[in-house]
Amino acid sequence: MERSSRPEAGLIKTNRRAPGGTPTASRPVAYGRGLRALSISTVVAMALALGLVFFYAPLEAEQGFLQKIFYVHVPLAIVALCGFVLGGLLAIQHLRTRDPRWDMRSYVAIHMSLIFAVGTLITGSIWAKGSWGHWWVWNEPTLVSFLIVFLLYATYQPLRFAIEDPERQARYASVFAITAGAFVPMNFIAVRLSTAYLHPRVLGSTSNLPGPMALTFLVSLVAMALLYATLCKYELTAKHARAQVRALRRRLAGEGADTTSRPRSAAPALQPTTAMTAHTAGRPGF
Amino acid sequence: MAGVALGELPALPLHTAGKYVAGAYVVLFALVLIYLAIMAIRLSRIERDLGELLELSESSGEEPAARRQSPSEPESTPA
Repeated sequence: MERSSRPEAGLIKTNRRAPGGTPTASRPVAYGRGLRALSISTVVAMALALGLVFFYAPLEAEQGFLQKIFYVHVPLAIVALCGFVLGGLLAIQHLRTRDPRWDMRSYVAIHMSLIFAVGTLITGSIWAKGSWGHWWVWNEPTLVSFLIVFLLYATYQPLRFAIEDPERQARYASVFAITAGAFVPMNFIAVRLSTAYLHPRVLGSTSNLPGPMALTFLVSLVAMALLYATLCKYELTAKHARAQVRALRRRLAGEGADTTSRPRSAAPALQPTTAMTAHTAGRPGF
Repeated sequence: MAGVALGELPALPLHTAGKYVAGAYVVLFALVLIYLAIMAIRLSRIERDLGELLELSESSGEEPAARRQSPSEPESTPA
């Protein structure tokens, strides 16, 4: 296969900053790299998890077939909460380096976790209806605490949208992501320490999953984590492709075209990202 | 072979809590499908934008060529 010396499509130049804040080197980034392998792994893991859930894991003695919801609900919740914490960690990296890539990653991690949290709330309600006879129980700390975390993160996008200046938007959103990300484990520990246990415990000393159930749960958790990673990568690739198309449009429109204006958006600005757009904008690349 | 293997598998007790379990898994797949639909819309938008950009680049490529030809050949000649 012939290899070209030109930069590949989908590659961008990034400026890595030294601790002093000066860009040290440029290195291309391809958000779409490895996406096919990740997608295939996700499909295989999901198929395996479903097979194990319905044809391998034994029926639970008390809840019977209803317990199968556990294999989708709990991994969704764990991945969503971990994703929120990940968003906070990526935001720390953004504040340290001031590199917009980290803000974009933090935004996508939180955005995807919100979708997973919606799935958690819906599947949890379905399970509660089948098990307790109610869609929602307000005096159960696990349910209410998860709802609080969800509502907290539901304000993330409006917060971003409310700030017009992209740099200020990224900075404030990072501070929010770090604060809320620290709140998630604290909230989890507080709930574990509370005495009112109606919601079944899955992890910890009170859980006693037999071998086949534990294996099925672990495979389901891995599959859900892979799904999360794949969707995040799709989102990043799509946003990057869109930014490149915008940059190309600006370049074709002429050097005099306004390169800084963009429609107001909650999503981070992937401004001049390529060597091409850096040339057009007359400033270093992303 | 696969039929025999499937025949050996235990029957799922769908009559008891089947609707709740089905509902939970349908929610998961609905979320993924909605996301895929949104991605498909975005992809078609990018494709449309790229088509416009291609037209723009072709027209801007034709302009300089026409300018190069015009001093010596004022009238356009058949290609």
